[in-house]
Amino acid sequence: MNSIVVTGATSGIGLETVRLLAGEGYHVLAVGHIQTHCEKADRDIRAGIHDAKIEWYAADLMQQREVIRVAGEIKSLLDERGDGKLYALINNAGCARSWYMTTEDGYEQQFALNCLAGFLLTHELLPYLLKAKGRVIMTSSRSHKGIKVHWDDVMLSKRYNPLTAYKQSKLCNILFAQGLNDLYASEGLRAYAVDPGLVNTDIGNKTAGIVDFVWRLRKRHGVSPTVPAKTYSYLCEHTKAPTGLYYYLCKERSYSKQVTSESAKRLFALSGQLCGVHYGKDAKR
Amino acid sequence: MNVMITGAAGGLGRAMANECGRRGYNMFLTDINEDGLLSIRRGLERQFGVTVAAKVCDLTDPDSVDSMLAVIDRHGIRFDMLLNIAGLDFEGSFMGHDREKVVNIVALNDAATLRITHAVLMRRRQIGHFTAVFVSSLASMFPMPLKATYAASKRFLLDFATSLRQELKDQDANVLVLCPGGMVTRDDTIEAIAAQGFLGTVTTNPLEVVARKTLDRALKGKATYVPGSLNRILSFTGKLIPRSVVAAVIHRRWNHAQEKWLKNKCCTPNSSLKQSIH
Repeated sequence: MNSIVVTGATSGIGLETVRLLAGEGYHVLAVGHIQTHCEKADRDIRAGIHDAKIEWYAADLMQQREVIRVAGEIKSLLDERGDGKLYALINNAGCARSWYMTTEDGYEQQFALNCLAGFLLTHELLPYLLKAKGRVIMTSSRSHKGIKVHWDDVMLSKRYNPLTAYKQSKLCNILFAQGLNDLYASEGLRAYAVDPGLVNTDIGNKTAGIVDFVWRLRKRHGVSPTVPAKTYSYLCEHTKAPTGLYYYLCKERSYSKQVTSESAKRLFALSGQLCGVHYGKDAKR
Repeated sequence: MNVMITGAAGGLGRAMANECGRRGYNMFLTDINEDGLLSIRRGLERQFGVTVAAKVCDLTDPDSVDSMLAVIDRHGIRFDMLLNIAGLDFEGSFMGHDREKVVNIVALNDAATLRITHAVLMRRRQIGHFTAVFVSSLASMFPMPLKATYAASKRFLLDFATSLRQELKDQDANVLVLCPGGMVTRDDTIEAIAAQGFLGTVTTNPLEVVARKTLDRALKGKATYVPGSLNRILSFTGKLIPRSVVAAVIHRRWNHAQEKWLKNKCCTPNSSLKQSIH
């Protein structure tokens, strides 16, 4: 049975993706922020799928020590119960903020969770993904278009604009997928970014003022999270991995011209420095 | 530049530490939260490549402070700047909290701040300018029912810092006292600010801007910094109106805001009455 890790699994897109993948017979390792929310999501899914194979992990992925801890727990489980292979990692956990706030590491929260958490978790699980010739899927967004990465101040602490920070983090998701493909596609690993479209989820609930207004507008015409969940399932189901990079409604779409291998390399160098890890030969087992 | 930062693992402490890191300052960080302290230390080193030392310390405990000072002296560390960020607040009426919990506000905000300030001034670098920053609050400008102990403890800091500044003036040192409104340092502060409605949002100061301007002004030799023009108007108005009237108005407003906030809180788990409005 193929194992898939899904982060941000207790609500919205993550929850529906876990439900769909569990229904399709995958062994899902679901990571949520809060223990009680994990328990609730578990009951909710099992009410419909009695034989669902799901393990839940509660972790605040914004904090790097929590990413390392939960990665350790996942690795132990893959070693003990499986063949040491991870079929797919869905880096879906994300947040929106309306003020500059930092994580324990002092990193801007949207950049830390939406971008660095996936970078670090993928690094920790990379040997397992490579062994399975697996897939890494990032939850990006159409809002990545029309902006550039602020390389000189990636956390935007000189002039913080919460919506820019969000969009930039979603652009970084595609850059990360691009960078992973550049490094590991030759070894059978594939990475994708998904545009979920306008979806009615809980994201943006912890905002106020103008940012809250923008998120309410965005979500008003949003579809159910069951719609984007199908794209994640689509990217997991083929025996031969699809070769595109950016997907919306199960189809390859065009993305920003800012997504280049050169920028991806730059993001890997920066994120590697901020996470204290290095992708390369030493990342393999 | 060697900077001592207390309360470095909290929201404002981290923002100030980031600002120091951006300027290339070396730091000695302290906080009661060990995991948080190690995280921010590592983050600063990775982001800015500056030298950061960190030691867990309970500033309300003289022995704990002594053992931290022993480490500082063993390494011969001397300081050019002190950022007194560590502070504590509980919302609600004076009689609504346990006795020691209320006393602890003064023990940390005032007594511990004096303890560390004295210790660091004794360990200032012999040659060169010294800067000290105290974090008071917009709350220090008024008597504040339902934040009575907190507001009074911050008033202490305001008056103390203003006096200390005069004492140190001819010793090549400046003391700045920061009096911010609300700042979003944690998730639950967002809810608290939302409960205060429009006034809550407009008196809220962006953390990263406060951190930057505090250092700018402290280094320029300024005495006080009230961030935000509306907050400056509020603090000025507070001086014109009789204090008993101010207290009555604030009591009414806070009562309403706290009721609204508590009502929302009942529906959400992990309710906490902590709020870090400095």
